[in-house]
Amino acid sequence: MNSFFFNPILVKEMRERFRSKKTVCILAIYLLIMGGIPIGFLLMDPMKAAALGENRNLFLLSAGIHYAMVCFVAPALTAGAISGERERQTLQILLTTQLSTRTIILSKLITSLAFSCLLLVATMPLYSIVMLYGSVSPEQMAKLILFLAINVLFLGSLGLFCSTWIKRTSVSTITSYGIAFFFVVGTGLLFFFIGESLQQAYPELFPDDGVWKLSQLQMLAGINPVFVLFGILGESIAHSDQITFSPWLFFSCFYLSLTVIFVFWSAYLLKPIRRTWWSWKKRPVRVK
Amino acid sequence: MVIETVHLSKQYGNLQALSDLNLSIDEGKVFGFIGPNGAGKSTTMLILSTLLEQTDGDAYVCGYNVRKDPVSVRQSLGYMPDFFGVYDNLTAVEYLEFYAGAFKIPAPKRRALVADLLELVNLSHKADAFVDSLSRGMQQRLGLARCLVHDPAVLILDEPASGLDPRARIELREIIKQLREMGKTILISSHILPELAELCDDIGVIEQGRLIACGSVHEVSNRDREMSIMQLRALHNQNTAALILSNHSSVSNLEEYMGGLRFYFTGSEQQKADLLQELIKAQVVVVYFGDSKANLEDVFLSITEGVGG
Ligand SMILES: Nc1ncnc2c1ncn2[C@@H]1O[C@H](COP(=O)(O)OP(=O)(O)O)[C@@H](O)[C@H]1O
Ligand SMILES: [Mg+2]
Repeated sequence: MNSFFFNPILVKEMRERFRSKKTVCILAIYLLIMGGIPIGFLLMDPMKAAALGENRNLFLLSAGIHYAMVCFVAPALTAGAISGERERQTLQILLTTQLSTRTIILSKLITSLAFSCLLLVATMPLYSIVMLYGSVSPEQMAKLILFLAINVLFLGSLGLFCSTWIKRTSVSTITSYGIAFFFVVGTGLLFFFIGESLQQAYPELFPDDGVWKLSQLQMLAGINPVFVLFGILGESIAHSDQITFSPWLFFSCFYLSLTVIFVFWSAYLLKPIRRTWWSWKKRPVRVK
Repeated sequence: MVIETVHLSKQYGNLQALSDLNLSIDEGKVFGFIGPNGAGKSTTMLILSTLLEQTDGDAYVCGYNVRKDPVSVRQSLGYMPDFFGVYDNLTAVEYLEFYAGAFKIPAPKRRALVADLLELVNLSHKADAFVDSLSRGMQQRLGLARCLVHDPAVLILDEPASGLDPRARIELREIIKQLREMGKTILISSHILPELAELCDDIGVIEQGRLIACGSVHEVSNRDREMSIMQLRALHNQNTAALILSNHSSVSNLEEYMGGLRFYFTGSEQQKADLLQELIKAQVVVVYFGDSKANLEDVFLSITEGVGG
């Protein structure tokens, strides 16, 4: 394990990333957006000391912006990880070393996570303002951080998968945004469309809006990050209050399994010579 | 046999890039792989470096099958692609240390190893320079050092001299000579033959995926040919020489060329020697008498012409 965390790719990626000016720019812009919007609202609507602890809107706003930024940054951090090496013509050399494709993929994911964590830690002081003004429980805060972490992990592995699968970084970035859009917006729309059309087609089967209690539909809602985020924040949007299971737990399991699948699939796709399952059993033979 | 291919074939869709290639290269030999662009040199090298799967046949490096045991093959081989990039924001030392780490060389040994490698490729003075600031020739030498990180027995160099200026070529060639003395087996490709002639023990000529000639440089260039293009330069009495040559039965197409004479000679090596004796007896002060430099390229053209068309 120790040797994994000091593996050469991690060291190299950190050096490359933290020496480039781009990183400083990303961090600065991120903090500007994350801090500027809530502070702007505060300035527009100054709160009195008496109102401390009673302004939930600020918390909701910060959480919303934070989630949007994660959706925006996480895929972009990894969507060029492999295709970038391919474009710079360093991938072939990397593949002739003793690093396994799984190590390469995992290291790339970990470095992007490290960077996302840096962004998260850097925004913590801003949250202290939010905590001061908003009525937020530590439990909610913890759930929110878990939620954001899972999103970072999932979107990062999605970007990584696209960059392994697709040759060019530009196309891979667009594709990973597209797939992320499906999970964020598409699943929510599907939930409404399917629910509404079932309700209208078979009103006798689902008396008084019973369609929203269907477990399949609830699962669809459970994999939609927006529903789950609202659940964590304690707000309810249309029909989401009828979910019978703990949505964020379902959400976490679903996206963690997708992450694992993406990582293994990428490692498989990255192999220059892919073995099929039946050739795994044959032992390497030495001739001479 | 350190490198061996047996009926190696590769198809890209409908395109037969490589067909039935049988190569065998002995330990410590430098094998030059020659052929025009698109002949299949890079394809062969990719297969040997475990980066591409062949459609048919087998290939072995140091006795390991490239398809079945890629990990052992990678450990015993250093591959330099025809085009490769370097990472930004890394110094030459860090660049090499990265690959040393990628070959699982223990960290305490890396520093000394990297210093040795930089010394070998004459880049010690650039140890702390960022790799993307190095010139193309230096990057190429750094790439060569990179191949040697894990001390492989076999080196596969794909057109290492292409795109380099003459000086950088000479420097690269000196390093490759040094590697040959270290006992490495080297497979080196080029589409220009003279570049390789001096360096290689054996050459193989490949055209449209087929090996059409294979053997020592001497064998290949004299194969089925008793006619060669020769050049002569004399300090004095060049006119006498021209007279003798024009009356000689084995000489044709005599012409002036770069302050000397160039002609086609049909005959054995003994006859060439006799001709030289004759010239010297006639008081011609010969400073150069030998095969024309352009000869190897002509040989190459004559070998490859008419294959597939
Ligand atoms: N990835 C590929 N897909 C399809 N055809 C390819 C690919 N790589 C090479 N080829 C074709 O295979 C042939 C051999 O290519 P290559 O081995 O690169 O030649 P060389 O290195 O001798 O110039 C060429 O005709 C080339 O167009
Ligand atoms: Mg080539």
